[in-house]
Amino acid sequence: MLRPERDSLVAAPSAKPFVTAEDIAKSYGGVQALKGVSLSIKPGEVHGLVGANGAGKSTLIRVLAGLAQPDGGRLFIDGRPIAIATPHRATELGMNFIHQELAFVPGMNVIQNVMLGLPKVSRAGLINWGAIAREVAPVAARVGITAPLFASVKGLSTAEKWLINICRALVRKARLIVMDEPTASLSAAEGEKLFRIIEDLSASGVAVLYVSHRLDEVLRLCHRVTAFRDGRSVAEIARADLSRAALVQAIVGRAVGRIAKPAIAPPAGDIVLNVRGLARLPRVRGVSFDLQRGEVLGIGGLVGAGRTELVRLIYGADRTDAGSMVLDGRPFLPRSPAAAVKAGLGLVPEERRTEGLLLTKSVAFNLQLANLSRIVHGPTLPLIDRRRRRSLAQSVIRDLAIKTPGVDTPVGRLSGGNQQKVVIGRWLLRGPKVLILDEPTRGVDIGARGEIHRLIRDLAARGMAVIAISSEPDELPDLCDRVLVMAEGRIVRELVGPDLTRNAIIEASYAEPALEGASA
Amino acid sequence: MSPLAAPRRRLSPRTKAGLGLFARYATIFGLIAMIAAFAMLSPRTFPTVNNFTNVLNQASLAMIIAAGLTLAVVVGELDLSVGFAASLHGILVTGLIVSNKLPIPVAILIVLAAGALIGLVNGLIVTKVRVNSVIATLGVGTILTGLAFAYSAGVPIVAGVPEAFLQLSLGRWLYHIPNNIVVMAGIVGGLWVLVERTALGQEIQAVGGNPAAARLAGIDVDRIKILGFVISGTCAALTGILLASRLGSGTASAADSYLLTAFAAVFLGSATLRDGEFHVLGTLIGALIIAFGFNGLNIFGAPTFSQYVLQGAILIVAVGLSSLGRSIAES
Repeated sequence: MLRPERDSLVAAPSAKPFVTAEDIAKSYGGVQALKGVSLSIKPGEVHGLVGANGAGKSTLIRVLAGLAQPDGGRLFIDGRPIAIATPHRATELGMNFIHQELAFVPGMNVIQNVMLGLPKVSRAGLINWGAIAREVAPVAARVGITAPLFASVKGLSTAEKWLINICRALVRKARLIVMDEPTASLSAAEGEKLFRIIEDLSASGVAVLYVSHRLDEVLRLCHRVTAFRDGRSVAEIARADLSRAALVQAIVGRAVGRIAKPAIAPPAGDIVLNVRGLARLPRVRGVSFDLQRGEVLGIGGLVGAGRTELVRLIYGADRTDAGSMVLDGRPFLPRSPAAAVKAGLGLVPEERRTEGLLLTKSVAFNLQLANLSRIVHGPTLPLIDRRRRRSLAQSVIRDLAIKTPGVDTPVGRLSGGNQQKVVIGRWLLRGPKVLILDEPTRGVDIGARGEIHRLIRDLAARGMAVIAISSEPDELPDLCDRVLVMAEGRIVRELVGPDLTRNAIIEASYAEPALEGASA
Repeated sequence: MSPLAAPRRRLSPRTKAGLGLFARYATIFGLIAMIAAFAMLSPRTFPTVNNFTNVLNQASLAMIIAAGLTLAVVVGELDLSVGFAASLHGILVTGLIVSNKLPIPVAILIVLAAGALIGLVNGLIVTKVRVNSVIATLGVGTILTGLAFAYSAGVPIVAGVPEAFLQLSLGRWLYHIPNNIVVMAGIVGGLWVLVERTALGQEIQAVGGNPAAARLAGIDVDRIKILGFVISGTCAALTGILLASRLGSGTASAADSYLLTAFAAVFLGSATLRDGEFHVLGTLIGALIIAFGFNGLNIFGAPTFSQYVLQGAILIVAVGLSSLGRSIAES
């Protein structure tokens, strides 16, 4: 791994912190997202923030950005206690945030995007773009924007959009720039360029809070790293003590050894689905596995590891670049979800409200989709048999214990857990050979979660093959017979039996990319 | 949901319930109140079997085109080409009969097929080329207007239209029901059964309600959208044929104004009985409101300009009610 000596750049340890967060707590509707995190960032420091999915990184960023108000704890800027009521206030205090979804207006030119949301008008109330350009030009040159300031932003790469966001932060006299997964959509060369800019920012006294799953980058760039686990800050590691092992230990909560080479043993049983070399660049980079009848196969890994993208390929929702599949002994490459459903697949999508359900339509209406051929009078008379629709819907409601006033209630009025049961119930009625569930219990209360898990186990016991994706490391060991962990578009680990633990999944999620992947 | 409706707003539960009731039944109360008012103001001419038959007969062509348009909006798209298409079809059917000496049934079948074809083209442009349906159908409609002028050289086809063709629209059926009303009832009834009672209709509703969810539930979304356009195009052709028969001529732009009437009916209909959801029965009620409204204005001798004002106002009120209904359903 690249790791140039950067000790010369270590921020003066004596410097007073710019931002200090003390014991910040925040809960959302009974879920304690932050139980007590502390963090301090010094001027000119590149401060890493690491932690597994759901450890509380995003929530802390929202608190700093004025998007969420903490329930407890204190915030200081330059040692003075402050409250950050609005995003505007955060900007005034000198903090700027660059999220993965870049704030960007495609129809405007470069300089308009740099000045976005920052009206700078003359006494006459007019904008003098010429004068602004004279001010912005040196900053743009410093961060390496090569596009002319008055050029359209159409066709600019993600990297150039990043530069524009950094430029915007500097024009606003930012003293801290928070970067959330900056390299997730950048190429290796673009990433290098960004690292040089971060080093330059640091040298000029601007602090950077660098939030990333990519430990190599954190090791390379950061002067200090704070690790979050389960809503608490569990470690603050100084540069001298930084190592991959130390970071993973802080994230997982115990000492770990070096991660073994992935070994995927062929399952012994009756194989329903065989996936070979499936790819859609850049998110899925060649995935192979076998799925057995009656098995619940989990797919773990970090958000952005390519899990959802992988199952969308299997389901025909996106086109594949490469790879092949065999379903029940026959070649299988669905061109659309309709073809996949016909061949015997079912999908419970990640976003049930937008991708799974028609919220204003009734429970019965939502259940009947994918089952219309079962509720018509017959192939010759394709009229809906409304009595059969009603009785089938009632049977699903009974079997899954869906809490609803009736079959005609709009599904949007049900709770999250019951909505999810409706999506699952649709496939229960159809009885696919392979059922894929993407985050089956997201946004579902703990009671319904247990019920959904039992239901999934039940389906498997009846011979269905199930693939379940979850970002919660705790969920998969409970639910699955076997778990494949993905990182950067590949399967990096297969976990079965006693090896299948929460910590093993987290460890594997942070696996070093395989050798051939290092250059990609 | 619909590109014409404004983004939704937040409402308190009580306002929601009240507004919901208002939005669902406002159109029906409005229709009844309007008929009652006209009947009281003009007891001799308005509330007669003759006048009602007349209004229905007049409104049938708009109802057919609006019922077809309903299918396009139910699948979540807009079809702005229907009026222009109907004008072209009127010219085409008279031209085929007068100039090409084709038998009337053959000419009608050809024109209906042409209507379906235009719908297919609209559908393919929207689903495969991924052009927004407003733009796609406006473009296609404008091209069709050009074709209509080219085919007729700008001169209405009047001479030599056979009596049998005129009888198509002027004739009466059993119990002296005008043919137009019979055809309209058949189309509206057929489309209602299709959308509400068939398996295909459930897919149609699903695609309009949430295309992403419909696709992941295994429905071929593009195929359903194309079907919506084909039905819309075919109904436009039928209206064009009946209008040419009623006018006794094929005239460029004759049916253009059906576009606005049909849209007003469809949006009024979406605010009827259901919370902002497009449906065939609603469209029928919407078209009735417009038809009786204009009939009343005519009876009282209101000037022509007021009809334009009314039509525009109805369209805005209709979309407003529809959007209100939807925000109630979603909040």
